Amino acid sequence: MVAVIETNSLTKTYGSLVAVNKLNLKVEKNTIHGFLGPNGAGKSTTIKVLIGLLKADSGSAKILGQEIGWDRPETRAHVGYMPELPKLPKHLKGTELLDIYGRMYGMTEAERAKQVPELLDVVGLGDRGTDLIGQYSKGMQQRLGLAQALLNAPELVILDEPSLGLDPVGMVEVRDLMKKLAKQGTTIFLSSHLLHEVQQVCTQVTIINRGVEVTSGSLEEISSRVEGPLKIEVEVNNLSKPILEKLEALPFVDNVSRSGKKLLIELTTRDDVRSEVSQAITNAGGVVVAMNLKGESLEDVFIDLLGTREKES
Amino acid sequence: MSGRNTSWLMKFLAIVRYEILWNIRKKKFIGMFIVAFALATLTLAGGYITSAITGEPVDADPEFVISSNAGLGGLVFFLFAVVTTMNVISAEFESGTITPLLAKPLSRTTVFLGKLLAAFLTLLATYSFLIIYMAIGSFVAYGPQTNLHLIPLSLLGALFSTLIWISIVLLFGTLSKSSLMAALGPFGIWIGTTIIGQILQALSGQGWILNYIPGVGNFGYVDGSPLEGGFPVSTGTDSIGANLVNYILHPAWEVTYYKIDIEGPAQIPSWVPLSTEPLSNVILTSIAVAVVYFIVFFAVSWYVFKHAQVAE
Ligand SMILES: Nc1ncnc2c1ncn2[C@@H]1O[C@H](COP(=O)(O)OP(=O)(O)O)[C@@H](O)[C@H]1O
Ligand SMILES: [Mg+2]
Repeated sequence: MVAVIETNSLTKTYGSLVAVNKLNLKVEKNTIHGFLGPNGAGKSTTIKVLIGLLKADSGSAKILGQEIGWDRPETRAHVGYMPELPKLPKHLKGTELLDIYGRMYGMTEAERAKQVPELLDVVGLGDRGTDLIGQYSKGMQQRLGLAQALLNAPELVILDEPSLGLDPVGMVEVRDLMKKLAKQGTTIFLSSHLLHEVQQVCTQVTIINRGVEVTSGSLEEISSRVEGPLKIEVEVNNLSKPILEKLEALPFVDNVSRSGKKLLIELTTRDDVRSEVSQAITNAGGVVVAMNLKGESLEDVFIDLLGTREKES
Repeated sequence: MSGRNTSWLMKFLAIVRYEILWNIRKKKFIGMFIVAFALATLTLAGGYITSAITGEPVDADPEFVISSNAGLGGLVFFLFAVVTTMNVISAEFESGTITPLLAKPLSRTTVFLGKLLAAFLTLLATYSFLIIYMAIGSFVAYGPQTNLHLIPLSLLGALFSTLIWISIVLLFGTLSKSSLMAALGPFGIWIGTTIIGQILQALSGQGWILNYIPGVGNFGYVDGSPLEGGFPVSTGTDSIGANLVNYILHPAWEVTYYKIDIEGPAQIPSWVPLSTEPLSNVILTSIAVAVVYFIVFFAVSWYVFKHAQVAE
C-alpha cells in the first residue's frame, strides 16, 4: 500500500503545550481515513503542519511522497484542503474566488471554465456564484470552502471538521460526496470529533487524544481491538441449578456467574442473543424479570476518552 | 522549464488579481480616492477662489500643472500607502483568509511579491488618473500648459515617495499582524517627521537629521532666505518628484538651509544661513535614503512573512 500521508514522530508545541506529540500517522492511498479525537486533541494542528501553515518542532512528514519541509509549494500541488470553519475573502464573488484559486493551482482557462460551475453545483451553490462571499451564510461559506478544496481534482483531500456549521441535509450531502470522490480514486483525510460521522464514511481510522495516537487501523480492527465480548445481565425468579446448567450448555455462552437473583452471562459472540437466552431460561422453568445487554463498544471507548479529557481540563 | 515558468507567472498573476480586486473594492481605498480627487479639484479651483475673494481676474498660468506637482503631495502619498498596504498581510491574518490562501501551491515569496505588485499597480493607475485629470483641468482653468513632458517625472517621483511609506506600513503590518498597528505606526512617524520635525528644525538648526528619515525632510531655500523672497525646497523623500522637475528646469539651483534665531533686546527673529548644497545633491540623498529604507524594510517584512506561522 502507498502512503499518501506519513508522519514520523511529528511534534508541534505551542509554548509549553505539546499539541501534537511524536505522532506516527499513516494514511494509505484510496482510503477514506478518519482522524478522530475530542476537541483540542491536536487534529487541526497536525493538518496545519502537513499543509505548511505551521512549522513542526521535530519529526518529519511526507505528503504524496514528498517531504513537507518549509514553504515547499510543490507538496501542495495535488492536495485540496478545507480548513476548519473556512474564512474566505468577503470582497470576492464565489466564482471569482474559485477561478483565482484555480489559477493558483495552474489550471488552464478551459479547466477553470468547466470545473468552477461544476463544483459550485456539487456543493449546492450553483445559483449563488455571482454573489459576494460577504453575503453568504455560514453554511454557504462552509460549502464554498469544500468546493475550493476540490479544485484541480486533487489526489488527496483533507477536510478539517467539514460538518461544523452544516445543517443535517448538508452533512448527508457531504458524506455522499466523500463516498463518490473515494470511488473515483481520491484519498480523503477527514478530521472529526464525532464518532458516528467517521463510522458512516471511513474505512480507516486514527484516534488521537492529547496529541498522542490512541489507536489506528480499519474500523473493524479497531472495534474488535477495543470492544470486549458482550455480557448479558438477567434477573430471574425461580432461579435454579438446571437453569444455570442449561445456559452454560448454550454454544455462545462462555461463563455464567450468580449473585442473588442476578446472573451475569459472558458471551463468546457480539451478536444480540437475548431472545435465545430468555427462551432457555423459560424452558428450564425460570421467569425473566429484567435483562440487560452490556459490553464495551467503540462508542464507549470514545466516550471514555472524552470523559478523561473533560475531567482533566 | 518554460512550462514551469509560465505556470509560475500564472500563479503570480493570480495573486496580483486577487489583491487588486481586494484593493479596489475596499471602502477605505474608494474613500481615499474620492478625497484625492477632491483635493486635486480644490487645487485646480485655487485661482478662482482667490479671484472670487479679491475680485482680480484669473491669470493664465502655463506652469500650473508642473508647479503644483500635479496635485500630489506628502499627505496624499502617506494616505494612499496606508489604504493600499495596511491590509496586505495583516488583514489576511485578521480575517483568517490567510489559511486557505497559503494552502495553495504558491510559495510565500510569490504571495508577498504579488501583493506588492498589486499595491504598486493600484497606485500607478490611481496617480495616472489623478495626473491626467490635473493636466486637463489645468488646461481648462489656466490655459495651455508648458513642460508637460515632465509629467512622467512627477508620476515616477510620486510612486517612489509612496513606496517608502508602503514599506513602512508593510513592516508594521507584518510584525504586528494587525491592520490598526499597520496604520497607526506609520502615522506616528508621519506626524513626527512632518510636525515635530519641522519645529525641531526651525528652532535647533538640526534639520539635517530629517534628510535621513522618510517624509518631507529638511527645508531649504533657493535665491535667498524667505524674507528675501527665496524659493522653498523640501529635501525629503516626499519631494523626489518635485525636485526632479526642479532640477531639469533649473540644474544650477543651490539650496541654502537656515536657522531661526531670536536675537537682541527687540526679540526680532532672523534667518541665519547654515549651509548650502547643489540641488543635485539633495535629489541624490533623498533617492539614496528612499532606496535604503525601502530595501531594508521590504527585506525584513519578506523574511517575517516567509517564516510566519498561521496558527489563527
Ligand atoms: N494558536 C494556538 N495557540 C496556543 N495553543 C493552541 C493554538 N491552537 C491550538 N492550541 C492548543 O493546541 C491543542 C490542539 O488544538 P487543535 O489542534 O486545534 O485540536 P483539535 O483540532 O483536535 O480540536 C489544544 O490544546 C489547543 O488549545
Ligand atoms: Mg480542530
